[in-house]
Amino acid sequence: LRPPGADAGTPFTDLSLRIAETLARLRRAREVTVGGSARRAVWSCGKTTLYRYLPLASAAAARGPQAPLLICFALVNRPYVLDLQPDRSLIRRLLEAGLSVYLIEWGDPDDADRRVDLQDYIEHHLGGSVRHILAAHRAPALDLLGVCQGGVLSLCYAALHAHEVARLVTLTTPVDFHTPDNLLSKWVRHLDTGLIEACGNVPGEVLNGLFLALMPFRLTQQKYVRLLAGTPDQRAVEDFVRMEKWIFDSPPQAAAALAQFVRWFYQENRLVRGTLEIGGRHVRLADVRQPLLNLYALEDHIVPPAACAAMRQHVGGRDYTECAIATGHIGMYVSRAAREEIPARIISWLRAHRRTRRGLRAQ
Amino acid sequence: MQNPFETSQSRPEEAFAVAAERFLGLLKSFGVPTAGGVTDWSALARPLATQFEQLLRTSQSAGPWFAAAAAMSPGAAGFAAPLAGTFGLPPLGPAAVQNGEAQRSFELLGRLAQLQGQLAVHWSEIASTAARRFVERLGAIAAPPATPDQALKLYELWVSCAEEAYAATVHREDFGRLQAELVNTSAALLVEQRRHAETLVRAFGLPTRNEVDALDTQVRELRRQLAELARAPRASGGDAGETRGRSHGAAQSGPAAPPRAKRPGRRPSGKRARGPRR
Repeated sequence: LRPPGADAGTPFTDLSLRIAETLARLRRAREVTVGGSARRAVWSCGKTTLYRYLPLASAAAARGPQAPLLICFALVNRPYVLDLQPDRSLIRRLLEAGLSVYLIEWGDPDDADRRVDLQDYIEHHLGGSVRHILAAHRAPALDLLGVCQGGVLSLCYAALHAHEVARLVTLTTPVDFHTPDNLLSKWVRHLDTGLIEACGNVPGEVLNGLFLALMPFRLTQQKYVRLLAGTPDQRAVEDFVRMEKWIFDSPPQAAAALAQFVRWFYQENRLVRGTLEIGGRHVRLADVRQPLLNLYALEDHIVPPAACAAMRQHVGGRDYTECAIATGHIGMYVSRAAREEIPARIISWLRAHRRTRRGLRAQ
Repeated sequence: MQNPFETSQSRPEEAFAVAAERFLGLLKSFGVPTAGGVTDWSALARPLATQFEQLLRTSQSAGPWFAAAAAMSPGAAGFAAPLAGTFGLPPLGPAAVQNGEAQRSFELLGRLAQLQGQLAVHWSEIASTAARRFVERLGAIAAPPATPDQALKLYELWVSCAEEAYAATVHREDFGRLQAELVNTSAALLVEQRRHAETLVRAFGLPTRNEVDALDTQVRELRRQLAELARAPRASGGDAGETRGRSHGAAQSGPAAPPRAKRPGRRPSGKRARGPRR
């Protein structure tokens, strides 16, 4: 591949060299791997698989009774961003703290799954995972960590099955979908969800395109040009390629579930209006009374901070903690904050809210 | 060339090459440093706007709904062409169906073209606003960048101007409605296209989507009834197991089909979760 601009006729030969060098580094980083922590599948339902991460030999000894922790990621992205590489892994940090960590992978719905809806995902896939874990640990309740759209599903589950969720952590989770800065919401507000559903499953690249279109110049141009700044570093390029791999590796979306999500949450804002029903049961945020830690990003272009912060006005529990982090949406998973601040906050909060064997909070 | 708005795979080398090429193109627009002279930045506005507009237009073609529209556009072969060659008749597309149905497809195509024209006006407006804003902010800078770092700094300024101009338009209600109507119209075209395909499928005695969906509904209903039946005797025996998934033996420390943790009195009466579905 010839460095573009080699014949540009500009005085920037140094720049042309940097471009050539960066291209070579990108080429060398082509085969980077993602995800590092050992895990095994323990349960499945449809295309969904529940994984348990194997404890680390170096993990801190658990202090007192620990509820297992289930991570519920978004349907629209893949959860390996939480375990991208050993030094950028929320999951690894949680394992190091001695937690029993489980993760739901929703898989790739195919045409046979086009009618899988939110009730299926919440009651059967998420619910089945919860029930499996509770039985395996002979525990009355677990801790649930919901990420982005997975946080919305987790809130619904926690409201409907309060006794099965001891504590809830939400990460970049929107609750109020009609805040003025929510561009995604403005764009989908007038979609005909019936028509979208009739078209069948939505390929991952369509949603990618939608997310990129929120800030097209930064997300499709500037982030690449920024590779030219500073001292070239092969490791930084490899980290960049891992992120690229994740960003473009989006699963297709089951038509019915996506249409419901757009209609119920983005268009009708049912969660905060108190009009959401799943499987004939009313979902009330006021029924979420578990201790709750709400983490969100201040520079989030996908889920605006106000959409997350609205949670405090609607949940029913008094034990509510929120923490706004100075980063962007993806930065919540892979930035320096993600490496240090976020795991530390989750772990210390869980420890501070540890339950006794009788199910009462120790602190 | 990779279109970042419609790729399903990460190709960072390609994306970087495209972005670097655009970046160098931009630097060419800035021109070479002049010896002590003050540059006239106003000449930059047009090439910058043109480049930005091109980028915005690439985002317009993304998505299966837009692809469906392209396949049905007059003059485009679409997927009907090879089939027509095989069977000696053109069974798909607007030409294959009854006049009323074809009329509907042509109307949708016409509407789509109109909407795309309206969107192009927005792109043009965004691009020229971005360029104007950039040129205004450049006012204090006397000469084009002489080092890569200066060039990158200037580029950051351009990106900020471009994103600000973009955000000012795309947050507007009329833009949101236009975007939605574009998707809705394209989706309607795709639905039409599938209806035409079903006409052919029926002619060959193959199952149609509607028939498969009807079967799917039956299977779901049967599963639900089966689950109800399975739950009835268990309910009296104290096991309300609703889990339908498969446990993966080696890793499981609990029973193969884990019972649901019982919480008598916690679940509102008469509000059991619906029976298993797919």
